[in-house]
Amino acid sequence: MEAPALCDQVVIVMKKRWSIAASVSSLLALASVLAFGQGLDFSGHTGLPAGIDISGSWYPLPFQDSGLITASGALAEYGGIPLNEAGRLYALAWNPSRIQGRQHQCMGYVPPYTYNQPGNLRFWEERDPYTQRLVALKQYWQISEGTRTIWMDDRPHPPAYAQHTWSGFATGRYEGNQLTVYTTHLKRGWIRANGIPQSDGATLVEHFIRHGDRITYLSVVNDPVYLEEPFSRTYTLGRSIKEPDTWQYACDDGEQILGRTEDQVESYFWGRHPFLHEFADKNKIPFLGTLGGPVTMYAELLDKVSDQKAAEAAATAELKPSAGPIQVSRVADPTPHDGEIHVLPVQGNIFMLAGDGGNVAVQVGDQGAIVVNSGAGGIPDNIVAAIKKLTDKPIQFIVNTGFQPDYTGGNAKLRAAGFDPSVEGSFFSGQFADAGKGATIIGHQNVENHLMALKTAPEGWPSDTFVQARRRKFHNGEAVEIFHVPNAVTDADSVVHFRRSDVIVTGDILNLVNYPHIDVKNGGSIQGELEALNFLLDRTVYQHDEENGTMIIPGRGRLCDEWELAEYRDMLVIIRDRVQDLIRSGATLDQVQAARVTADYDTRFGATAGAWTTPMFVEAVYTTLKNPPNGIKR
Amino acid sequence: MVRRLVVSAILAALTIYAQGGRGPAPPRTAKAAALYDITGYWVAVVTEDWRYRMVTPVKGELGGVALNPAGRKIAGEWDPAKDEQSGDQCRSYGAAALMNNPGRLHITWQDDETLKIEADNGQQTRLLHFGAATSGAGEWQGSSKALWEIVPAGRGDKPVGSLKVVTTQMRPGYLRKNGVPYSGTAVLTEYLDRVNEPDGNAYLVVTSTVEDPVYLAQPFQSASHFRKQPDGAGWKPRPCVTRW
Repeated sequence: MEAPALCDQVVIVMKKRWSIAASVSSLLALASVLAFGQGLDFSGHTGLPAGIDISGSWYPLPFQDSGLITASGALAEYGGIPLNEAGRLYALAWNPSRIQGRQHQCMGYVPPYTYNQPGNLRFWEERDPYTQRLVALKQYWQISEGTRTIWMDDRPHPPAYAQHTWSGFATGRYEGNQLTVYTTHLKRGWIRANGIPQSDGATLVEHFIRHGDRITYLSVVNDPVYLEEPFSRTYTLGRSIKEPDTWQYACDDGEQILGRTEDQVESYFWGRHPFLHEFADKNKIPFLGTLGGPVTMYAELLDKVSDQKAAEAAATAELKPSAGPIQVSRVADPTPHDGEIHVLPVQGNIFMLAGDGGNVAVQVGDQGAIVVNSGAGGIPDNIVAAIKKLTDKPIQFIVNTGFQPDYTGGNAKLRAAGFDPSVEGSFFSGQFADAGKGATIIGHQNVENHLMALKTAPEGWPSDTFVQARRRKFHNGEAVEIFHVPNAVTDADSVVHFRRSDVIVTGDILNLVNYPHIDVKNGGSIQGELEALNFLLDRTVYQHDEENGTMIIPGRGRLCDEWELAEYRDMLVIIRDRVQDLIRSGATLDQVQAARVTADYDTRFGATAGAWTTPMFVEAVYTTLKNPPNGIKR
Repeated sequence: MVRRLVVSAILAALTIYAQGGRGPAPPRTAKAAALYDITGYWVAVVTEDWRYRMVTPVKGELGGVALNPAGRKIAGEWDPAKDEQSGDQCRSYGAAALMNNPGRLHITWQDDETLKIEADNGQQTRLLHFGAATSGAGEWQGSSKALWEIVPAGRGDKPVGSLKVVTTQMRPGYLRKNGVPYSGTAVLTEYLDRVNEPDGNAYLVVTSTVEDPVYLAQPFQSASHFRKQPDGAGWKPRPCVTRW
């Protein structure tokens, strides 16, 4: 627009004697447009006005990766994905029958997977009603009825011990002509639903670039667990002309294969995948290319597959774990390591206290607190201080889920910080001088037995022990159940279920940092551990698509829900089955160790140093499969 | 009173206009007006449409391309040996396909009004003309007109937008290695955007639309991307071939 045109507009405005306000605002608006619009060339626009506002309804354009939009890819179709060894082995072990497992039928989808799926998605802005400042971009996607929030107000990302979700925790900002989004706290999901995993340690950077009625979407997944290098990919989204009227995508799980036991998780042991070459053969693709890895993303692959014999040999070598070395976890350590206790609200009356020992759970209410586990011995004062901030009532009960120092180390101090008003002044106080003077410590009889054997201070021993499978209480308005789960990581394990709040505290049964610390000498076993995990899965309910509902505070690691529990169970079943398979073929422990049966999980859970290493875990599995304790047998 | 207010408004408007509202006076050359720098070496990251781009799809594999009956007929007649005999090995290296091929790009300013894109794979060169100059009509890379398209989004102080390229008069070629055709009347519209990553990486994102009333029932829309390279290491000129 040239300057004279502005004068024409001005003349028109004066002649018509519009209202003063309208005239002034129109002129200023015109001036702004003129000033801003210098050099604009709208000749290329064929669709909606250009801009970077992505509000509205969109759908994935079906031209690119068309076969993957509806079918999720063939088995062993990994070309172009920079898988590392663990990622490739995870995918090679994946049996599609696994999605018929109860907890897998309704799993949600993580971004960027969601943007290459059929179905509509809608963006809208959420603004502060008073300041009109942009607070968040919201998104709803049809494929799993998922809602995503992209915070635009510069808020910080949560700590590593916070819950992960399908859509993760996302923050965004406008950069030039792009919306850039950074996402953390994702659940373990799919890069491609043919077994190619995206770990819960992945972070994601996305760029939305709008060109008229189209969005070009670039995603870059950084996954230290399963990828050798960042996985970048583009998609295109088209704008829906009208608001789509098909949004619902309900999913409830059910029995799909009758008779499948709870500890049956289908997988292929490496080298025995029956459909390994199907995709390559059908499409006349060099087999090496279909196995993925960084080389398959670049032109160098053309050179590599030109020597067919060498390419075939390289492909064969990738079908099983390499000789090593053993890999270690590459995810962010959720332990704060700052000597402090960090309080995380869970739901209902329950809080999680994260510190440098095992996790602590606290239920608060008028009747006084129940504390599940007491943390390592070094920082109980901080735990007491944290609980005092949550409630002015005393700690009435302490429940120990095990005897390990990380869960009982603070017993004595926490006990001293509380008292049991239901005992004080009662018949019992007449019999025992200290009755009600401190919090009551509840634990399975074996907890006390072990603490006594370890000669710990008697003040930290359970004062209220049980031997039955289920101990129950009603406290602070909700049922509290304590279940003994025999021969899991030890012979003294319990889990605690706060029923109205619907929070389960697992103790060391669920350890999201390492493989489970199966203490064979103290009665632990792989089969007991699996039975304990399946027992928990029988009690959990998801709210929507394997997310929320029953919340779980693990012994170590971040707050989670049923999905992480199911994934942990699946992993242990798969590893158990591999070890069992090798035992049946006569393998020694050394041979099982050399087979690296955990190679697809080591970059997430593995350790080669510290109190609990991967070889120690494999040995525990091997030992307790050969010699199950107390008649526990598969 | 009314006149005084209106005159004041005019003065205010003209003042804003005179001050530019967007900083300094408009640059005179396309090079100086660049919204971002896309020069340098870039490597194609072939992660999307991998089975159509990194390997030669089997004959008749047309997934994702809405060919009309004439287009399907041509694709069904694909004969790479025949292309070799006729010296047409570069059919899948034309402008409508070049940015989807694996390989590397070297982008430079040939002059103040012309961006040059060289591809090592197929040894092709595209010239993107911002000015009145033209070149390439009837050749594999056709004739490309470029402009910096400003987005009227109003966010930020600097003008933002994309490099838009419209290419016409291409020699008929293949959208994909297996003979998916486009005709000489096809129009290729591309946006070339630079994306900077927090880790220091940068990507060149190419969004393209091929409109071809001769062979396509609807436009073929796709995107591809390249990662910035520090130098020319890995640059490997390869001749055109009819299949990988």
